Amino acid sequence: MASLGSVTAALRVTEVLEAIASRCVGPEGGQVLCTKPTGEVLLSRDGGRLLEALHVEHPLARGLHAIREKDSFTSENTQTHQRHWKNCCQWKCISQALLTFQTQILDCIVDQFLSRHYLSVFSSSAKGWTVCRRSVESLLEAYFCGRVGRNNCRFISQLMCDYVFKCMDHESVVEGLELVDNCFLELNVGVTGLPVSDSRIVDGLVLHRDFSVYCPADGDIKMVMVTEVLQPPFSSSKSEFVLDSEAQFQASQCWIVERTKAVMKHLQSQNIKLLLSSVKQPDLVSYCARLHSISVVECLSSEEVSLVQRITGLLPCVLPQVPSQGEISDTTLVKFCKPLILRSKRYVHLGLVSTCAFIPHCVVLCAPVLGLVQQHESAFRGAFKMLQQLFTDLDLNYIIQTNAQRDSSPLACNNSRECSRPPEIGKYQDVIVKSENKLENTQTHSKAYSNVVASDTELKTRVTWSAHKETPLDTSQTNVILKCLSPEKNWVISDCELLVGSNPTGNPTAEDTRTEMSYDNVQVTSHPGKGCTLPVMYKSLEACTSLSYYCSSTLPAGCVLPVGGNFEILLHYYLVNYAKQCQQSAEATVSMLIANALLGIPKTLYKPKNGKDSFPQIYMRSLHALQTCQPMVSGQSGLEPVAGKYQLIASVIQCLAKILTVDLVINIKRQPQKIGDQDSEDELEH
Amino acid sequence: MSRFEAKKPSLCKTEPLTSEKVRFTLSVLKGILASCYGPSGRLKQLHNGLGGCVCTTSQSSALLRNLSVTHPVLKVLTASVQNHVSCFSDCGLFTAILCCNLIENIQKIGLTPTKVIKLNKYLLGLCTSYLKSEACSCRIPVDFSSTHIFLGLVRSILTSKPACMLTRKEADHISALILKAFLLTIPESAEDRVILGKSIIVPLKGQRVIDSAVLPGLLIEISEVQLRLLPTQKSSALKVALFCVSLSGDFSNAGEGTVVVPYQVSLENAVLEQLLNLGRQLVGDQVDLVLCQKVIHPSLKQFLSEHHIIAIDRVGVTLMEPLSKVTGATPIGSLNTIASTTYGSVKDLSSARFGSKHFFHLIPNEATVCSLLLCSRNDTAWEELKLTCQTAMHVLQLTIKEPWVLLGGGCTETHLAAYIRHKVHNEAEDVVREDGYSQAELRIATEAFCSALESVASSLEHDGGDILIDMKYGHFWSGQSDSASVVNWQDMLSRCGCGLYNSQEGLSWSFLRSTYHPFAPQKCLSQAAVGTASNLTVDCFTAKLSGLQVAIETANLILDLSYVIEDKN
Repeated sequence: MASLGSVTAALRVTEVLEAIASRCVGPEGGQVLCTKPTGEVLLSRDGGRLLEALHVEHPLARGLHAIREKDSFTSENTQTHQRHWKNCCQWKCISQALLTFQTQILDCIVDQFLSRHYLSVFSSSAKGWTVCRRSVESLLEAYFCGRVGRNNCRFISQLMCDYVFKCMDHESVVEGLELVDNCFLELNVGVTGLPVSDSRIVDGLVLHRDFSVYCPADGDIKMVMVTEVLQPPFSSSKSEFVLDSEAQFQASQCWIVERTKAVMKHLQSQNIKLLLSSVKQPDLVSYCARLHSISVVECLSSEEVSLVQRITGLLPCVLPQVPSQGEISDTTLVKFCKPLILRSKRYVHLGLVSTCAFIPHCVVLCAPVLGLVQQHESAFRGAFKMLQQLFTDLDLNYIIQTNAQRDSSPLACNNSRECSRPPEIGKYQDVIVKSENKLENTQTHSKAYSNVVASDTELKTRVTWSAHKETPLDTSQTNVILKCLSPEKNWVISDCELLVGSNPTGNPTAEDTRTEMSYDNVQVTSHPGKGCTLPVMYKSLEACTSLSYYCSSTLPAGCVLPVGGNFEILLHYYLVNYAKQCQQSAEATVSMLIANALLGIPKTLYKPKNGKDSFPQIYMRSLHALQTCQPMVSGQSGLEPVAGKYQLIASVIQCLAKILTVDLVINIKRQPQKIGDQDSEDELEH
Repeated sequence: MSRFEAKKPSLCKTEPLTSEKVRFTLSVLKGILASCYGPSGRLKQLHNGLGGCVCTTSQSSALLRNLSVTHPVLKVLTASVQNHVSCFSDCGLFTAILCCNLIENIQKIGLTPTKVIKLNKYLLGLCTSYLKSEACSCRIPVDFSSTHIFLGLVRSILTSKPACMLTRKEADHISALILKAFLLTIPESAEDRVILGKSIIVPLKGQRVIDSAVLPGLLIEISEVQLRLLPTQKSSALKVALFCVSLSGDFSNAGEGTVVVPYQVSLENAVLEQLLNLGRQLVGDQVDLVLCQKVIHPSLKQFLSEHHIIAIDRVGVTLMEPLSKVTGATPIGSLNTIASTTYGSVKDLSSARFGSKHFFHLIPNEATVCSLLLCSRNDTAWEELKLTCQTAMHVLQLTIKEPWVLLGGGCTETHLAAYIRHKVHNEAEDVVREDGYSQAELRIATEAFCSALESVASSLEHDGGDILIDMKYGHFWSGQSDSASVVNWQDMLSRCGCGLYNSQEGLSWSFLRSTYHPFAPQKCLSQAAVGTASNLTVDCFTAKLSGLQVAIETANLILDLSYVIEDKN
């Protein structure tokens, strides 16, 4: 049975882990040097790596580790885990309440309250909405601040930013990011012994091997890729070759040579200058290739083959049975093909011509020691994951419990142009509810919401309108509190219209299901000097009679918040508010608990600061700003994605709930057998 | 024992640098490295106590390769230095000593790591931009019209490795050879992209160093028996066939299926027949020399020698590329027909005897391959000499790419330190305004940084002499400290570390270890001084600059560590 002792033990473990993690979090955090039993030296600031290296014996910590592997965020999340644990371990009974909290309340709060603080990485331009380079820069800088050493974080984040903007086609960033994320191992070259500042981006693709045969060639070069040995085998598998005479043997040898030569000649006649092969070719093939001035690269890994395939669309070529006949169709052009020498090692450098969303570039990562190269590489991969998540929408589902108080409140806010619309189409907009009814704040935000159910023409006018309105505001960036725009609208406007078509306006009333396809809000602070205040009208949603309804909305792509514990303080603030007005004590307790646990992160972040920047000061200032509805001032310029943070909190709570349902930890001597994956060898061992 | 033994928990240590033990081991390592530095550096003898070979060295590459450090922090340091050396061959000790000094100095000043790292980075930026700028007066452009600077560079490298045990005369001889070998690797007709050739070091132990020589072309070691096979001299060029396939008659690529051979059919005969056919073709094509990477069948060898063709087999894969370069032949990968374009040629072939070894000497028409026959009396000295020659060759290559050299003999370090001190002294306000640290913090960090640089220079002095800096150029001077009072530096000192200035120029000096008032070291380097000064000590620009960067980055990395987690499994 779970005794009090086990709880205190767990608490102690989490305290220790927290102490360790807290020194590595944030811009002031340090590096961790891990040595492997093999003598390898690793450098890391990644919480997961850290936990892995620690080999903690306590089972709770192991559980933590298992969960940790799922998500890929900054070391902060480890910190969060522990913080929560520390606070929650005493509250075993509330695990169920936690789950409810995660599924219902958290989403709701994130969606309804936090959303008004979001900033976006998209900015408007003449062509529509584009990814703002400055925002991405500060986003990456904040990210790398927590992932690589203080010495190099700025340089590495600049490198990453350059890389992203060089590689990505603006039309389909997500697709390009996915490719880079999957294939980054092939897209970077690590070089040890050089200073980090020698790292750079090179155009084209660098293969991690040297040419077997290199024949210099100029201009556009035609390339083929093969996956089989070009020399015909003497005997093929599952067959028997009976040699009758010595002459026959010699003749067949001759024939093989002639065939190989013919194949190469055919390639040359098709003007092919480069042959990529996933297998090792015999000496004869190399010899013939050299005679026909064809460069050969052998032993490509399957990942490299698939990468080349994805970039150029080139399929491995199957050479015809009878050479010298038929055109080889599976060829592609490369702009250049030359050896690249890095630290006296030769690599193959190809100027591939891309047919997809990714413009091929490679990163050369230099560092004095291997551990640092690896750290930078994994930080890059993490950053790609983060960006990928940033550029996709995140679905939020929750139940809104409407009570009498809310019924009477203006739940929808519509633009004046949409006044004629039936009220159901209007959106929940509890931000205003809150600020007007509960908090009695003066609402200074005017909000304009467009809806997917708007007609095509309306949508279009809206786009132009928002673009028009945003432009002057961009110049005075301090005044713009938030501009949160759904990227779908701009990138794939036709898609948006399609969705409109498939969702008849009359639908939602039947089940009271509100489906927001595009959360297309442009929120602009009204500031008197500019006179940009928009004609906005709040309409009350009187038609809402049912007590609860399901809301499914999205956390739009590109939402960010300033770093420095902003997200945590905001969530803390709203959770506390929620807890205050909550009738059920369990819910209120959980909210309070999590709200307080969240504060642990900004506390750690501001630990080394003092005076005006110390945590209590920041906290008080933020609270004050929230209460008076002024913009929150952040001392730091970095940004962090909201979606990632949100998912992190959600998985922390789930993990916590799971752990809390465990009542007894049983130590067993051997490893638990994996179900369905039993190794016979393991059985023999015992 | 079960494989499923539970893993032992790791050992986690906070702030590794604060521990006394780490500081001590770091200072021991620094002591070892610093005592090796420079021409008068002390040698280290490495042996394992169980017999086996003994390594006597003062080079970082040999030292760190054989030295096993246990503490993870030191592992990072040594790995970083080794990686630097494998990239640039030179300046390994400089990097290591600077890194150790910097860590030691910074621990004393007690600033937070974040600030120190920022400040170090800023100071490094000052150094690199100064060294790369035109105004830099510790950098000399390389004059390609004379061998003056190149010889100085090679000689500096040779003299800074005392374990080679060279006399002055021998050092001059070897430096001339190295330079000659290097010049032979440069192609005569310059295209848009110059591809340097290769010089191959041929070992010849037990001979005098002075017997070392450079020969154009390749030397292939042979047995005395083979020597007798050498035919009479031929007047015209020799035709060469170069094989990369085995000519031993093996049949390896039978494919995946089953090959059934009836009793009366002899594959050996078939293959041999094929080989002899090949031989006949070679004879028909009037080939004079057959070289094979792998083994040649004895019958084929016999056949070839009957037709006065010299056959050399087991050349090995490392010689294939140089051979292909020397002869212009394409390695042949087929036994059947040989295209006439694949043949190459050599101007002449002679046999040579050096010491007790016999060689075939392939003399090329025009090629960028040469052989450096390196002699030394004993094994350890030969190893050291070989390493030094490789370093010198590499450094010459790097200097071709970036045609500058830095003043050696500690002058660059002291000059750079003087420059940084002065710069920070005068411009501290501007810097502080931009970044978040105070002026005092900048001063403290600068002092730590500059004194780390200066301690590298003072590591050159091992005999307890006085170490001085002049207040005009900021160069490094050392002299015997027998004079108790500071009477007449001018007479006691002769030349500065790099040999550029002499003491008769009306200079004033200050002890390097004492604090001197920041002064602006004289900018522009006088070309006249460079021209007249013989025996300049110079260092490789590329290697030293990268060494500086690596040292500071590594120091920053080590200072940044909050934890060391050791896996005890």
